[in-house]
Amino acid sequence: MDKYDQEIYREEILEHYRHPQNFGAIIKPTHVGSSENPLCGDSIILELSIKNKKVSDVRFRGSGCALSTASASLFTEWIKGKPEKTLKNVSDDVLFQLIKAPITPMRRGCVLLPLSALRKAINV
Amino acid sequence: MNKQRQTSNGVKVVSIRRQFPLIRSNPKLAYFDNAATSQKHESVLKAMDRFYRRENAPVHRSVYELAEKATGAYEKVRDQVRVFLNARTREEIIFTAGTTASINLIVQGVSGLLKKGDRILLTDMEHHSMIVPWQAAAIKEGLHLDYVPITAEGRLGIAAFRKLLKRQPKFVGITHASNVLGTVNPIRELIRDAHRAGAIVLVDAAQSAPHIPINVQSLDCDFLVFSGHKIYGPNGVGVLYGKKELLERIPPYIFGGHMIERVTREKTTYAELPAKFEGGTPPTAEVIGLGAALAFLRKIGWKHIRKHENELTNYTLRQLKKVIGLRLLGPASAADRLPIFSFTLAGVHPHDGSALLDKDGIAVRGGHHCTQILHDQYSLSGSMRVSLGIYNTKNEVDRLIIAIKKVQKKIHG
Repeated sequence: MDKYDQEIYREEILEHYRHPQNFGAIIKPTHVGSSENPLCGDSIILELSIKNKKVSDVRFRGSGCALSTASASLFTEWIKGKPEKTLKNVSDDVLFQLIKAPITPMRRGCVLLPLSALRKAINV
Repeated sequence: MNKQRQTSNGVKVVSIRRQFPLIRSNPKLAYFDNAATSQKHESVLKAMDRFYRRENAPVHRSVYELAEKATGAYEKVRDQVRVFLNARTREEIIFTAGTTASINLIVQGVSGLLKKGDRILLTDMEHHSMIVPWQAAAIKEGLHLDYVPITAEGRLGIAAFRKLLKRQPKFVGITHASNVLGTVNPIRELIRDAHRAGAIVLVDAAQSAPHIPINVQSLDCDFLVFSGHKIYGPNGVGVLYGKKELLERIPPYIFGGHMIERVTREKTTYAELPAKFEGGTPPTAEVIGLGAALAFLRKIGWKHIRKHENELTNYTLRQLKKVIGLRLLGPASAADRLPIFSFTLAGVHPHDGSALLDKDGIAVRGGHHCTQILHDQYSLSGSMRVSLGIYNTKNEVDRLIIAIKKVQKKIHG
């Protein structure tokens, strides 16, 4: 993962932690998934509204570290407007690309938490 | 602040730091994760290296000179551990793979003596290594587990403990000192009360062993366990102390070579203590390394260790209290307290906090520290933990405080 050479705790990431995008709930979601990181107890609930095979809205809530919160914030931004079938084939690398920083093995789970919630939401 | 280095304790700590290769070669590192594992003393590494280079042979088997010497070196450490714990006899000292292995051996053995419906009393400040084996045994044997709660100050609820003893538990498993709160339990009184209620008592001394002298005869505990790697010795070796009559009553845990008296096609009779519990080739070099660690502690002496660590405890508590937004878990006073400090910083996730402190060369633990039940009592999923040892200094604590303030500024912007 040498290509992602930015600082983890850079201002961009910390801003997503302080003011996460798409934080909250959807009144009538079409898909809901949740995931927990057993290493630290962090948890996330991801809600989606998929209309005409496209993501019309996405929200998340839960508690997490700066890394998992920023990852969820960036990832939900990425998800919004995507066709449903794209969501079925999201690789781990999509999230690492959004974070743009080298991630140690112990913290991979933080970055990937929102993806694991998405996979549960759409039954992948 | 630098003047503190010039006290006699200060001079000694400089010399002690030089005796730990990892500490010596990382002058910018403040190693504050001693409750998880300590660094290794030079003499430990040398003893293990010398054993493998010059003295390696199977213990307890062969009669050639090299093997006799290896057996002698291994068994000498048993005598050292007997002295370290003031056990009555050397047969009461069993070498295991560590505290977790010791507890599993005891739980397996003792649960065989119990019957369905018997109660086991544990505490909310136990490490998972005490709780999980008993939960597994409880399912298998139909036992009931009770937990002693902790007080708001982070000490064990003594009144609740006595009340729970009225349920007549057959076994009490209790930590000498909490790996999160730093609390040192009034263990002698707890053991006395548990005995009056008719329970067998196991003391988890994994945290206390590097900090407090232990005397198993005076405590009168039935079992006591600790690990080599937390007392400046190697990984992979631990100790189980048990009263002889109990060790004779419980069955072996690991079956195989060395732990037998006679094997025929029909049956096996088991060896006497301590061999009965040491099946298989033991971690010989690790046991010898443990012997070196015990010799090091003896040379430094409890007087110095207690004085140095009490000063550090007092100092660290004073400094941590000054940090705005820091919530300390566990007792705020230094009395009956180890230099272990778990805390949260408002708005800072423990993993972010420890990752950011690491950037300033400060190694602290972030997470639940294998005590999820305890963290649940505080409605927390984790905390940051600073745990100090024989080589830590007030200057390092000062660096920590500055670094914590930096973390707060960085996260909150």
